[in-house]
Amino acid sequence: MRNAYDAIVIGAGHNGLTLGAYLARSGLEVLVLERRHEEGGGLCTEELTLAGFLHNVHANYHTFVDLAPPVHDLDVRGHGVEYVRPEVQMASIYDDGTALTIHTDLDKTCASIARFSEQDADTFRRLYSEAHGYVDLLLGTLMYQPPMSVKELTKALATFGVEDRSEFLSVKLRRETINQFLDQHFTNDKVKAHLAFHGAVCAYTNDVPGLAIGFPLLIGKIDNWHLCIGGSHRLAHALWRDLAQHGGVMISDADVRSIAVDRGRAVGVRLVDGTEISARKLVASTVSVEQTFLEFLEPSAVPEELHSRVKNDVKHKDWSLFSVHLAMTALPAYVAAEFDPDVDRAWVVNLGYGSLEELNADFAAVRAGRLPDPKPNAAVNSLYDPTDAPPGCATGLLRQFAPFAIAGGGEGEWESMGRWYGHRCIDAWRKYAPNLTDDVILDWVPYTPLEIAQKLPNMVRGDWMMGEVSLANMLDQRPLPELGQYRTPVEALYMAGSTQHPHGFITFGPAYNALQVIADDLALDAWWRQV
Amino acid sequence: MADIYSTAWYEGVRDAMNTRVATMTDLPKGVLHIKVEIYGDGISPYIEEDVERNFLIRIADGHCDWYREVDGDDTSVKLDYRFRGPATIFDEIAAGLQDPIDAALHGTVKVRGDMRFLMRQAEHVSVLLDAYAHGVQTTWPLGRPPYAAEHKEALGA
Repeated sequence: MRNAYDAIVIGAGHNGLTLGAYLARSGLEVLVLERRHEEGGGLCTEELTLAGFLHNVHANYHTFVDLAPPVHDLDVRGHGVEYVRPEVQMASIYDDGTALTIHTDLDKTCASIARFSEQDADTFRRLYSEAHGYVDLLLGTLMYQPPMSVKELTKALATFGVEDRSEFLSVKLRRETINQFLDQHFTNDKVKAHLAFHGAVCAYTNDVPGLAIGFPLLIGKIDNWHLCIGGSHRLAHALWRDLAQHGGVMISDADVRSIAVDRGRAVGVRLVDGTEISARKLVASTVSVEQTFLEFLEPSAVPEELHSRVKNDVKHKDWSLFSVHLAMTALPAYVAAEFDPDVDRAWVVNLGYGSLEELNADFAAVRAGRLPDPKPNAAVNSLYDPTDAPPGCATGLLRQFAPFAIAGGGEGEWESMGRWYGHRCIDAWRKYAPNLTDDVILDWVPYTPLEIAQKLPNMVRGDWMMGEVSLANMLDQRPLPELGQYRTPVEALYMAGSTQHPHGFITFGPAYNALQVIADDLALDAWWRQV
Repeated sequence: MADIYSTAWYEGVRDAMNTRVATMTDLPKGVLHIKVEIYGDGISPYIEEDVERNFLIRIADGHCDWYREVDGDDTSVKLDYRFRGPATIFDEIAAGLQDPIDAALHGTVKVRGDMRFLMRQAEHVSVLLDAYAHGVQTTWPLGRPPYAAEHKEALGA
């Protein structure tokens, strides 16, 4: 490791590696620093249970494959990433033994919905067709460029007369919840529950005002969920390879203590071990705003008001995820397969939410710090990835909406309650897949919201989206208005992680958008802007 | 009157655009190069199936400097935007039968480039598109859209 680089990127998650790789391809000398022992951040795959069972500890669903520019620009497939798009993407299994399945084949999806409501199947087809048509346009407008304000967007939508041209897009969506959108357009409780569940898994909570604005886009890519063969970490490794091939350097076990500022300009970093490294052109942080502005920067380097706002005003998600990772000797055989055999091939399964009210009630409980009766979602990657478990075996991943801090005891309660709640989640799965008996489950481990925050401190309070997903915390308002365009009050210091627009998830958006701003500031030749 | 996709037609579109923006204020400054890629779809008689015609438009300070046909591999300018779609859709837009914003919104015409600028200049963009769709008296020597029915029949569709 040299003592000076053009660019230093803090954090080797997918955003840090992506930004580093683009900058390295642009001819800059790049150093990416990672606190943990390996690159990846949320792209973390580990043998949590038994040898040979690969568990995606955080990111499991890659829904922006072939939509996000970096997937092509950085040639991740050329670096060894193999994606599969499961034919049966998702399912809901209801308490009465019925099931709804989402396929890559729109006709099959509509046929499944039609078993509950032919009217809803027709509506879904129209919604999907409309949204699928403009998904490129919306992604280009809303996700893969530095953000505009809601006001600007609203004005443009009005000028283009979008409301008159679309059955589903409307400026009023900026005030509505996904629940309201679903109630306006769909009739069947189970259909609505499934679509709301799909939004919630993407962190678009169904009862939050304003999130209806993003719902058509979610539907437009509802069948674009991809699984990274061999584990999500393969993507991190591919990004690191691209960085390295273009002269960039990633150093793990490099814990940043501080960002050096000279006369208002970021000029380097100091590591916990005392190493000092200079940055000739920029420092980019992909970790949390709290770490960046409260820990890494001296208070004197940050405007007092911003310091206070980072402390008090940064919004985090009000729910987290409790996970159970399982090593199994069989795939789940659902009772509901009698109703729809395709549920046994569904990659991700909602176990039990059959109405919006049930989702509302559980989110209310979670926000109050209570643990709901588990209705986890179950992902079985082995259905589509034969490499993630030994022959004849399978991995399982249960995810349950859960609070970070448990009422009455705080987040520390998870240390004693994780196993207990994990048992309950497994019991909930067995209710629908009775073949998953004790002898089928070789091993399992819980992974609590507390552990999320401990393993990845940038996910403050178990906030796996690194910031609340709400209209007030979107676009140029995320994470704070003064940081919303990736620049900071410290010259040459940029924010490029999931704290920024658009948000967490494997979107690559924060890094890609920060890159546009950096390119403008440094007058880089933007080779990636392929019109 | 000008034949579709003829030099006279391009000039007509240019003039129509400039007439329409003449009274506008706050026109965007700077130069933009827009490429329009129209590919034959087996229905339009103006562009053969599997053939592509490419048009380049230069907008300077909100006005259309020129509008001309170029080779597909033309690299004479750095592009700011690319509009791509099937011939029938572009024919129908030029005939005023298809709304260009609808076509973009529904993905039949793909738009690439900096969407922020397009959104911030929505009024200007709308005026230019309206000029393209309604500003020129077009003649159709091989038949006027909508012609899908007879061409589909000829194609055995």
